[in-house]
Amino acid sequence: MAATRPPTPRTEAKEAGATAAATATPGPAAPDSAAPDPARRPRVRRLARRVATRLAGALFVLWAVVTLTFLGMHLVPGDPAEAVLGGAGSHAGEAQLAEVREQYGFDRPLLAQYADELGHLVRGDLGTSWTLRTDVTGVLGEALGSTLVLAVCSLAVAWVIAVAVALWSTRGGRISTALGTALEITAAAVPHFWLGSVLVLVLGVQLQWLPPLSTPGIEGLIMPVLTLALPLAGFLGQVMREAFLDALDAPFSLSARARGESETGLRLIHALRHAALPAISLSGWAFGSLISGAVVVETVFSRTGLGRTLLSAVLASDTPLVIGVVLVVAAVYLAVTALTEIADRIADPRLRQAVTPW
Amino acid sequence: MRKLTSTAAALTAAGALLLTACGGSGDDDASATPRPGGTLVYATGDDEPTCLDPQQRGNVPQALLATQYLQTLFFQDDKGEILPWLATSWTEAPDHLSWTVELRDDVRFSDGTPFDAAAVKTNIERVLDPETGSTTGRLALSKVAAVQVPAPHTARIELKEPDSALLESLSMVWLPMQSPAALARGLTANCESPVGTGPFTVESWHRQDSVTLVRNANFTTPPPGSAHTGPAYLDRITWRFVPDGTSRFAALQSGQADVVDVLEPQHAVAAKGNPNLAVTIAARPGKPVQLELNTTRAPFDDASVREAFWASVDIDAALASVYLGTTERATSPLSSSTRYAADTIRDTYDPAKAAALLDAAGWTGRDGDGIRTKDGRRLTVSLPYTTAIPLQPGVYEQIQATAKKSGFDVELRPLDTAKWWIANNEWDYDALPMYYTKNSPDVLRITYHSAANADATPNSYHANNVHLADPEVDRLLTEAGQTTDEAVRADLYRRVQQTLADGHYILPVHDQQTRIGAQKKVKGIRLLPSLALPSFYDTWIG
Repeated sequence: MAATRPPTPRTEAKEAGATAAATATPGPAAPDSAAPDPARRPRVRRLARRVATRLAGALFVLWAVVTLTFLGMHLVPGDPAEAVLGGAGSHAGEAQLAEVREQYGFDRPLLAQYADELGHLVRGDLGTSWTLRTDVTGVLGEALGSTLVLAVCSLAVAWVIAVAVALWSTRGGRISTALGTALEITAAAVPHFWLGSVLVLVLGVQLQWLPPLSTPGIEGLIMPVLTLALPLAGFLGQVMREAFLDALDAPFSLSARARGESETGLRLIHALRHAALPAISLSGWAFGSLISGAVVVETVFSRTGLGRTLLSAVLASDTPLVIGVVLVVAAVYLAVTALTEIADRIADPRLRQAVTPW
Repeated sequence: MRKLTSTAAALTAAGALLLTACGGSGDDDASATPRPGGTLVYATGDDEPTCLDPQQRGNVPQALLATQYLQTLFFQDDKGEILPWLATSWTEAPDHLSWTVELRDDVRFSDGTPFDAAAVKTNIERVLDPETGSTTGRLALSKVAAVQVPAPHTARIELKEPDSALLESLSMVWLPMQSPAALARGLTANCESPVGTGPFTVESWHRQDSVTLVRNANFTTPPPGSAHTGPAYLDRITWRFVPDGTSRFAALQSGQADVVDVLEPQHAVAAKGNPNLAVTIAARPGKPVQLELNTTRAPFDDASVREAFWASVDIDAALASVYLGTTERATSPLSSSTRYAADTIRDTYDPAKAAALLDAAGWTGRDGDGIRTKDGRRLTVSLPYTTAIPLQPGVYEQIQATAKKSGFDVELRPLDTAKWWIANNEWDYDALPMYYTKNSPDVLRITYHSAANADATPNSYHANNVHLADPEVDRLLTEAGQTTDEAVRADLYRRVQQTLADGHYILPVHDQQTRIGAQKKVKGIRLLPSLALPSFYDTWIG
């Protein structure tokens, strides 16, 4: 099998991946075996430079996130000493507040507090939560796993639903296409809070199939995952079907059909791959949105996680914990974006032939 | 037949009323034998505590949980009387500057160490130690100077000045007795697993999910009035944190939870209609949820405008439509479950009276919206509110609607809690919703003594939201805080309440409440009167 190079080499192809799908080039993946030897060395150097650039960019993003969060938390009215002492509901006296201010250094200039915070973070120390009085790292460790399970499962289920609906709705002509589109638009528009409450009332209370409150087992995961996955499936499905229909009309589909490829084979092997490309690119963003959706879902289903941690930390003005959560979310988001790029390259050989580090 | 049905209906109604009214429980099945064992799932809508040791800080979410594993020296009954608990007897010195407290000598903490006077000294000193970061507890003990141990089971609490609320303070779960050996582990360890003398012990705490409590097999100190002795019936309690009201009630309906709290009005009504569920609503002591009128500026610096506002607001109708009959109107500046509460506030809705008062006060003009004016100024009442105050938004809207008929422009300002506190601290309100939980009429001194107008913090927090500065009220409150003569105390507090009512400074709406829904098969839920918080010592699952 011969590899066909794209008409123009792509050096910065990450954004181009999605749009390139429409002008698809036929043929399965093939390694770039023809690379000439002398090109290896500069390629390694380029790769190293690219990795370094990416890491520097990531560090800049993390620094910006910390700084904005720090400033935001200090702009919110309220006394951090009161937050340390359990909020306004616990009737702290002035003497106690003064003691806490001194103990935590709240009486020092903002810049000094900021420098202090950055210093700790650089050393990998996320500090101690003001309200929980335990290591932020420990709290995040517990919450992160739970949210990642939720987000990964939701993304996976959303993909399964989106692919299934796309395959089904592009098969039976206009009516099923219209129906599929309507379903997707509706699903995409449903707010998490509402969907979660409806699922609780229907599946939890009326039918009593699933526990309304999250439980450690798989049955406790179903409703939270559905709540996040259904709207996301709507988004992914819309994007996917457009690309799917384009691919079915593309010349390579014609040639595949001419080669005697069955319609099912054409859809599963060729068209789906093209349909997946924009959806893969979108999944990085989607993962980020899942984390924000987790705030709602973890509250409705009383599930441990980053979203709930963030919500209660913000409400309690617990700056170290807020910064910790935001940092972890940003880091996860950066990691996922990098992963989507790799996935893009795996799904789209054109991107691999371009000179890229991955 | 008709008679039978109406009798049945009457009985049902009476039963429902009983369940609603009495702080007792759904345990009307006296013939059934308690069955030991089982796990109770409790879903709370209150916040998750940040620390399970209520000596550190001190708020209601901590108190709810700690009631299950910690106990106090004294027990306060539903009339506010002090009964022995970990203490057996007590005497006040003739100069009112110390209390000698005799302690039980047969009690051990759940870690096996003995409870004695040294433990009392350790606990009280710990609360007073700034390092501990106690808030509610330390404030309550602000008149305590020292604790002496004249004998192994005798403690003497010495005071800087007489404190008639001392025993009440020491019957709040924010001032519990904890094992000195456990306290020596440090603040963090005690946040995770405090050790007391209660019917349950803390087994584990999964943050944002649940706290697991297990039965204390060596338990020997039931609260006065308990239905049995010895260890609790339940093997364990799973205490889950469920912030969403709909999910919480769904968990109760589906049987995933046995007991839920912070039951919303529509869920309370639905639960009453469900044969498997029981509802308990009880008043917490302290200051009711109420509107405090700011006397530092117009229009409420004028007593007759305050009175007109009272007469223009239909609180009863608001409660009926928003709370669906699940709460009653508060009639006193003290909650109905607070000792010496006197009914001083009654039947205030009277638009005709409001009109006459406003006319007399010079608010005779009307603008295009029907709002009264005086010298070109509109009769505007700024009302900032926050969800942190347990008053349904519908009540504010009803207040706005009814007051408008009398020509008041009630400007509702929904704020987040931090901004709402700023409004409070800066006196930037005309009417402010507020409450204060405390098991003593001394709450009136904390919130209406003129000293409480002073800024308590650099943020300008002040506990007196009315800006009441009445030398006579100050004198009555100071005296009431020092005398332990019951009749004198009752009279002093009644006079303060009367003054608050006569001056129309505050408009009580309803008592703060403990609102619990439970499976009927759960028997023997009891609310301990000091703060109307549930105790599951007598509880068993049928």
